Amino acid sequence: MNILICGVGGQGTILASKILAESAVIDGSDVARTGETIGMSQRGGSVVSHVRTEKTSSPYIPKGQADLIIAFEKCEAARCLPFLKPSGKAVVSMSEIKPVAVSLGVMAYDSKAMEDYIKSAAESIFLDTDTLAAPFMDGKCTNTLLLGAAFGMGFINISENAIKKAMEKLIKPRFLDVNIKAFEAGIKAVSG
Amino acid sequence: MKMNLLGNGAIAMGAIAAGVKFAAGYPGTPSTEILETLKSSEYSKNIHIEWSANEKAAVEAGAGAAYSGMRTLVTMKQVGLNVASDPVMCLAYIGIKGGMVIAVADDPGPISSQTEQDTRSFGAYAHLTVLDPSSPEEAYKMTKYAFELSEKIGRPVILRPTTKVCHASATVDVSDEIHDYTPEGFVKDPKWVIFPPLSYKRHIENFKMYNSIASEKCKYNNVETVPDTDKGIVTGGVTTAIVTDVLESLGVKVNRLTIGRPYPFPVSETEIFAETAKDILVLEELEPFIEENLQRLIKTPLKGKYSEHVPAAGELKYENIESIICGFLGLQTPETPSAKLNVTLPTRAPVLCAGCPHRASFYAVKLASKGKKAVYCGDIGCYTLGNAKPLETTDTCLCMGGGITVAQGIKTSNPDTDVFAFTGDSTFFASGMTGVANAVYNKHNITICILDNRTTAMTGGQPHPGTGVTITGEETVHIDIAKVLTALDVGFVKECNPFDLENAVKTVTEAALYNGVSAIVFKAPCIAVSKKPCTYEVSDCIGCKRCINELGCPAISLSSGKAVIDPVMCYGCGICETVCKPGKIHKIGGVRS
Repeated sequence: MNILICGVGGQGTILASKILAESAVIDGSDVARTGETIGMSQRGGSVVSHVRTEKTSSPYIPKGQADLIIAFEKCEAARCLPFLKPSGKAVVSMSEIKPVAVSLGVMAYDSKAMEDYIKSAAESIFLDTDTLAAPFMDGKCTNTLLLGAAFGMGFINISENAIKKAMEKLIKPRFLDVNIKAFEAGIKAVSG
Repeated sequence: MKMNLLGNGAIAMGAIAAGVKFAAGYPGTPSTEILETLKSSEYSKNIHIEWSANEKAAVEAGAGAAYSGMRTLVTMKQVGLNVASDPVMCLAYIGIKGGMVIAVADDPGPISSQTEQDTRSFGAYAHLTVLDPSSPEEAYKMTKYAFELSEKIGRPVILRPTTKVCHASATVDVSDEIHDYTPEGFVKDPKWVIFPPLSYKRHIENFKMYNSIASEKCKYNNVETVPDTDKGIVTGGVTTAIVTDVLESLGVKVNRLTIGRPYPFPVSETEIFAETAKDILVLEELEPFIEENLQRLIKTPLKGKYSEHVPAAGELKYENIESIICGFLGLQTPETPSAKLNVTLPTRAPVLCAGCPHRASFYAVKLASKGKKAVYCGDIGCYTLGNAKPLETTDTCLCMGGGITVAQGIKTSNPDTDVFAFTGDSTFFASGMTGVANAVYNKHNITICILDNRTTAMTGGQPHPGTGVTITGEETVHIDIAKVLTALDVGFVKECNPFDLENAVKTVTEAALYNGVSAIVFKAPCIAVSKKPCTYEVSDCIGCKRCINELGCPAISLSSGKAVIDPVMCYGCGICETVCKPGKIHKIGGVRS
């Protein structure tokens, strides 16, 4: 699978990408690759993580080849859609983080146009993560919650057991339980 | 054992397997995680690991350890190599005893750097072997090999990954075996003292040695010949991996030469390749290093950067590579169906975090210099982001520590202007102190603002000489910046809390009026190393937008014309409460200490 995770620097996209790569290997992949954005963009800029769970030489997903986009922010989802396959899926947080230039009136943030575009281009599900993730460390588990939602939708071809094992390995013990709960809340949010 | 590792983690694990005993570096994207992985590893107790004050200190300390027979790793980003170039150039002549690997991460793009300089060129200039991994797996193996090679030839070896190897992860097969040895210790010998006659002798030896290595086969250079075509593609680094994916997806085979050891440039592999390949495309990021070296050995004109088949600068992404290869092979570039962006999206540049003390420091200086002619000289760190609207308090940024000294030249040529230099705490220790001495000695009338946030923030929060802890968390002396400035005979030195805006503005005003070198140490911790004290909210906003227009805090946005504060993002710094003239912003919960 080719999975693209996007958001705003500081939202925790890298942990989500690590969990996916680790769980793919637990489930038997020979090699999983990720390509991260680490550096200046982590200060509130656009960030993207590429995750590839099948054998490739490069970690970067070409345009039009992602099976799934997990977006932590609406505008960033729209920005990354050209990476998605025509049959690809998108799990999108409704969260709107307006760049400072928008608040200053230099640029516009057209929420409705973004949403329409995402809906027209992908089989997508929108989640109110600001509310859903609030009970889990004041929204700090949005990443594991979105993973749960993508898994719950059947968009991730990895077992629940492997994802939880990967979380055990990668998350500090004192934060593990709340992240597992957020993951399960993500599954629940898209069920039924 | 299989491990998912970032390229930087793979380099650390490779160094552990090679028996590294001394590791030093200075944080810099994209190299930082090498030492951080080493520190977090279960083997770290057997290794001396340090964040050095700067890259020059790291190389010099590393040289001493390597002279004594320790396998030594030194890490930095490409611009850090400029700082370390003095010892590195000399070390290429003097050599080492224990294997020494200098890991220098290059940054095509550039993504988080001042330059797009190419360490392969530096290696050739210095006469040091350069290894260039194409993936984390290769970085792991290459690191082990680099230590062995260094010890064999008695010279340091440069390992040069780029961002997309450093910050890509892969499943790496990590060996349990660790090279075991006892360092001999320092043995006195005239060979450790660089003198002109020795340098002359070593220059000849080096030239001959690298010339001979160039003709030896290296397992990291690879030739694949395809007899039924004369087309050939030459690559190095991560471009090798992307070209493999592109060719596989196009379903074509061509002759390939992959260069994992760009210096000394491989002669025998080139000869084999050139027997079959007659029409040759060179794909590489940064400088046309492979292209120039290949052209020295092959007479056929190459297709590359000079012929404008390949862009001169920036990253080579999959799409660029695919289109260049299709052009080269006379194929139609495949149309991949994908969504076409039909909405205008706002760009999202990095910004100072909500609650960042730098915002308050910049704002205080801006208020104090309102209505006066002022120039703001910035430096390297998160605070370079002070250039953005609405703060606009960074007029220059050159290199690490450069702000303090650039300010001196600006003041001399603009005597009627107040000139402020901003430097972070880590940058101050890395290369700011010399500039202060220059200012005092040469009587430059400038104001130095040290933004002391108690960490090296931009690279993810590493300790430095002013923090009182080492990389391993061990307590150490905390070097007091104000005392250093006083010891350097700066005539006006004051510390202040930037969030106490009134006092901060008063201090800046005094400092600017002082005739001579003045300095203010703005002391407030980075939000990444402090606890959130409270949050703020807006009630009955009148929509004047003063908070937004003055501060540009990412936690404040407009909703139906009124300011709203994102409670998750807000870090409770309270500067917006001070700025809100109608008094509509209030603290909720906790206390701002």
